[in-house]
Amino acid sequence: MFVVLVYDTAVERNPNALRTCRQYLHWVQRSVFEGELSTAQHRSLMTALRQQLDLGHDSVRVYRIGSPHLVQVDALGTELGNSDSVL
Amino acid sequence: MSASGQSYWLTEPCRIRREDNSIRIERADRTPVRIPITDIRDLVVFDNADINTAAVSLLSRHRITVHLLDHYGNYAGALTPAEDMSSAHVVRAQVTLTADPVARLAVARALVGATAANVAWALDTDLLAGPLERLPAQVRACADAEELMGIEGNFRRTAWGVLDTLLPPWLRLGGRSRRPPSNAGNAFISYLNAITYARVLTAIRCTPLHPAIGFLHADSDRRRNTLALDLAEPFKPLLAERLLRRAAAQRTLTAADFVSDVRSASLSTAGRKKVSIMVREELATTVHHRQLKRKVSYEELIHLEALKLVRLCLEGTPYKPFRPWW
Repeated sequence: MFVVLVYDTAVERNPNALRTCRQYLHWVQRSVFEGELSTAQHRSLMTALRQQLDLGHDSVRVYRIGSPHLVQVDALGTELGNSDSVL
Repeated sequence: MSASGQSYWLTEPCRIRREDNSIRIERADRTPVRIPITDIRDLVVFDNADINTAAVSLLSRHRITVHLLDHYGNYAGALTPAEDMSSAHVVRAQVTLTADPVARLAVARALVGATAANVAWALDTDLLAGPLERLPAQVRACADAEELMGIEGNFRRTAWGVLDTLLPPWLRLGGRSRRPPSNAGNAFISYLNAITYARVLTAIRCTPLHPAIGFLHADSDRRRNTLALDLAEPFKPLLAERLLRRAAAQRTLTAADFVSDVRSASLSTAGRKKVSIMVREELATTVHHRQLKRKVSYEELIHLEALKLVRLCLEGTPYKPFRPWW
């Protein structure tokens, strides 16, 4: 599945969320990640986030999309991340 | 290696670092790029790269191979995971099978036949019909792998000649030369062959097969991965020859993408980048597989090929090398 993950966490827990998400997804914007995940990877990412965040205060939204071909992205301004596989 | 994930192609000098249990690629004068570790199938490094123990151990834990190509596009080596997919059962069966000259030659013959057919398919021409028709009889008359290699070489030489007629003058091979390749066309073919070899090796490492115990190539002389060389043969036309023709027809590559010297040539940095983008797109191309009844990518076809050999070793299923059916 193709995933877009957005998090909104307290300042002191931002690094935790960032670090965890970086292991699974491509960073595209300050608190936005996207990428291809298997069901198992999705589950372990959610488990890791659940352990590190304060669910009473923080918020994470994951948009699951069946195929990356269904996503059309219109971008304005500077491209922050890089998810190309030729570097 | 994870089943999902993609290959990453590092075409510029870079430093591979570990950061937050993931991978960070640092290039000169660029912002670092972070690659999610779970999204990496393998890394193909085309240029100088720095790597340290921390990064190697992380890559090893995630079963990721790092393929290294040298300046001229030859396969320089690989950093492979410490614990790979080993199975004494399969390796023993593989050794027994390759030790039997009859069984070994049968696989070698099939490989030569399929490779020749694939070359003719890739060149999409009738000019090879004659040699192709004569080939089965010649292959049957062979007593050992060395003779087979000779016949394959002869066929290939004819095919290179035919390929030259389909190319613009500056890209013509004018006879195959290696180490170093003498002109742009040869440099391209060498580069693609090295990449194909790396893809096949990655696929073999996903099975318990031992990459050094092969069927067609001589296994006595040097330390090399004979099985990877064998399995790369039928795929070389699909990637190397076809992409060369396409690059020539679509004018994706220009003479400026090659660094030419007296009697030697290699791809420039910009050329490498173009080639790796072409290869990445080519490997992602899908075709409908008739037995699996679903679409498979070229990358996956290579993996299926390695699995066929596992079935040959364990179950004695006759091995039919890859031939394009589309």
